Amino acid sequence: MSTSSSPVVPPRVYRLVQGAVFLVLTGVIVAGFLGSIPQLDILEQSARNLYFHVPMWFTLMGATILSAYHSVRYLQTGDRLRDIRAREAAWLALIFGLLGIVTGMVWARFTWYVGTGKWWNFDPKQSMAAVLLLIYGAYFVLRDSIEDRDTRGRIAAVYNLFAVVTMPFLLYIIPRQLPSLHPGGEGSPAFSQTDLAPAMRWVFYPSVLGFLGLFWLLYTQRVRLAWLRDQLRDEPDL
Amino acid sequence: MNWLAGAWAVFRKDLRIELRTRYALNSLLLFVLGALLLVLFAVGPRPLSARVQSALLWIVMLFAASIGLGRSFVAEQERGTVLLLQLHTRPSMVFAGKWLFNLVLVGLLTIVAAGPFLFLLDISIRAPGLLASVLALGAVGLASATTLLAALVARAARQGPLLPVLLLPLLVPLLVSGTSATRKAIAGLPWVQAQDELLTLVGFAGATLSASIVLFDFVWTD
Repeated sequence: MSTSSSPVVPPRVYRLVQGAVFLVLTGVIVAGFLGSIPQLDILEQSARNLYFHVPMWFTLMGATILSAYHSVRYLQTGDRLRDIRAREAAWLALIFGLLGIVTGMVWARFTWYVGTGKWWNFDPKQSMAAVLLLIYGAYFVLRDSIEDRDTRGRIAAVYNLFAVVTMPFLLYIIPRQLPSLHPGGEGSPAFSQTDLAPAMRWVFYPSVLGFLGLFWLLYTQRVRLAWLRDQLRDEPDL
Repeated sequence: MNWLAGAWAVFRKDLRIELRTRYALNSLLLFVLGALLLVLFAVGPRPLSARVQSALLWIVMLFAASIGLGRSFVAEQERGTVLLLQLHTRPSMVFAGKWLFNLVLVGLLTIVAAGPFLFLLDISIRAPGLLASVLALGAVGLASATTLLAALVARAARQGPLLPVLLLPLLVPLLVSGTSATRKAIAGLPWVQAQDELLTLVGFAGATLSASIVLFDFVWTD
């Protein structure tokens, strides 16, 4: 089908973001582990996980929306670069989702289940996040099962969008109907005064931006690499 | 051909072909009965809690649907009749006809799964109306999701267990609400208590059906 503009980001922009992300994330790691945090009951030192766990989920949401957007654009235009973008965003959603689950498990282990020593106790938000990862896993299995590239792009885009339609049920509706310890449910709003002390915002917000920047770096480079591979397959003499 | 007549014709065609061999119907029903008997042997004669009962019923139904309903579009590919359907009908008619046919299959499947299940496990339902509406809403959601994904799977070169892999994670909301509402129906709670679950099932069926109608064009036409 049609070819479009190349996915190359201007090197200067890329180097600028790279430097900024490097500085911000180094600062976040240092301040996150060494900085002072308010001592709250139950949370205590585990509150530092806020700087790592929550940005993972923000990034996951961003990657999911980005992937769905490019799937829509692929169905509209048939531009192969859109398919590459949708795939790479989905891949990074899987990675950041895994990191989010791992950081969440550690956090839950030392706050909710500290007396029991459990790592996993079917909290609705945890389980639904695991299902979300299964959906993205199925997306890649579906991609691998189709030979023709244009058909593969279209079928994968349809599955991606169909999955996005059911995601609000997984992430917002069902977890709110079940009893959960996770903030953001009924009776425990996220980011209340008890969760987020003013001093922590100075690390938390840069951390969100830093991880989103990290996502952007990985995403643009992966898209570029996949695009080059795609071009080489079309013209092996290049 | 107007839209309703076209959709109805696709449904009639599928029904007639199915009634010639009864392959999908018989294999689906035998699968459900076999799975139920396996469950009965596995759990043994002791009475189960309502939680386990509703979970078993829904798991049998979801697995039966994910295995049995994948045929509808694959059969068109195998017979080489896709092109004829594409020439004579609009995509939405094909989807509506196939969806209706799958809904009938899921309806039969639900009755065949739920009836013997309640009879063999000796479960008395204290709120039969609630159970019937939960199962009906679940069947609509199941049929909608399965029809679109069966069309996707028919385009894949390597099929194997692809449909269950794609379908089961998407059906988790249906499973959670369905089992919870079924448990309440077995316990005989009033309708108001199952309001959340019923609304979720209605929303799930509506969302999957609308998304399928929008997306089906892209799967069906090249």
